[in-house]
Amino acid sequence: MTAVKGGPRKGGPPSLRPAREWREWVTLVVRIALAAILGTAGYAKFSEAEGLQKVAVSSYRILPQSVVGPVALGLPVLEMALAALILIGFATRTMAICVGVLFIVFIAGIISVWARGLTIDCGCFGGGGQVAKGQTHYLREIFRDLGFLVLAAWLMVFPRGKLALDRWLGL
Amino acid sequence: MSKAARQRSARERLAEERKKQALKQQRMRRLMITLSGLVVVALAVVITVYFVNKKDSSAYTGALAPTTRQADGAILASKPGAKAPKLELFEDFQCPICHEFENASSATIKRLAAEGKVNVLYYPFWLFKQQAEPIRGNSQRAANAALCAPADKWIQYHDVIYKHQPAEGSNGFSNKDLIGWAKDLGFDTPQFEQCVNGGQKQSQLDSMTNYAEQTRQVTGTPTVFLNGKSLDLNGTLLNAKNLEKAILAAQPVDISPSPSSSGSPTPPSGGSKSPSATPKK
Repeated sequence: MTAVKGGPRKGGPPSLRPAREWREWVTLVVRIALAAILGTAGYAKFSEAEGLQKVAVSSYRILPQSVVGPVALGLPVLEMALAALILIGFATRTMAICVGVLFIVFIAGIISVWARGLTIDCGCFGGGGQVAKGQTHYLREIFRDLGFLVLAAWLMVFPRGKLALDRWLGL
Repeated sequence: MSKAARQRSARERLAEERKKQALKQQRMRRLMITLSGLVVVALAVVITVYFVNKKDSSAYTGALAPTTRQADGAILASKPGAKAPKLELFEDFQCPICHEFENASSATIKRLAAEGKVNVLYYPFWLFKQQAEPIRGNSQRAANAALCAPADKWIQYHDVIYKHQPAEGSNGFSNKDLIGWAKDLGFDTPQFEQCVNGGQKQSQLDSMTNYAEQTRQVTGTPTVFLNGKSLDLNGTLLNAKNLEKAILAAQPVDISPSPSSSGSPTPPSGGSKSPSATPKK
């Protein structure tokens, strides 16, 4: 992913600039994409009734009942807050690391559910809970999250981007 | 060392010092930005969880509408002589969303029933008979016990059963517990214990399940019909305010013919959005 395909790097300062310029634009695009994905996922959960959110979390059968409520309520906000900060480019690398960790947790959760033979919807974009036996999409859900993880990884490696608050603050 | 050389090295040292200082500042700034980013995110989450968690829907403590058992096993909660819309609840005691529905809306439903603003029919059934074992048996035992329970204590018993709903995948609703809760509510009799331990209501449970799934096309729980029209889960059932609005806007109907024999019942497609499509006034 870190291979620079576009900018021909001939070596020497003049050609270094365009490569860097190009990367900064990519970083901006990645930021917008990741913020849109996270924001949509967070808002879809957030706008659901509280009961549905709790059912979605408890259907993973990982967390104790007392923690399900706070997680169900907090996760959508966490996603939306991370999305907002990534969009404006504030503490980009740190936020990207947080997002990456979050996706790793999600992927681990889905794998765990799959391994235990449960049949649920991941509830990644709202919904969630039990589904019928043939209605699970674990592989698709895992690959989708892996794709999102790649976006977060790009931001970890190249946090410097266009139109970022970080730049304006002198980072 | 010449004077010029000394001066140069002093300049160099100064420049180096400045560079170090700038680097330190840069690092400091980066740290501050990182920390404030983390604090913003953490605060947003903590504040939301704190405030949303606080508003816990209070339990209903007022009087309940009188309850009677219908010929088909359903429990009717109705203020005598009330001309009101009809709300039919199809539930499985092991269903987690039914439990959330109870938490969110049962107080409102009980109050409206007691005030004679709605007539409520409870149809417990065995949705989870195809599921794997602890879920299947939990669901079966709870529904059987509920059918064994006397009509006048039915709502209280129904609430206790939900209160003890086992987490999905763990054992619960043992006959011993089901009898114990009846004892707490003061209606434990030898007949009741026999009914619970012997699964004596199985045939009625089967026919109620058949009624729910075949006649009324119920494919998931909770499914709630207001005057025969399935209500939307997210917008209405789990939102007591909207549910109350929908009930108050609905027309009074006759409760006696419990199956809506006129035409095909609306299938409970999860897609049905707003409940505002109530009959004309």
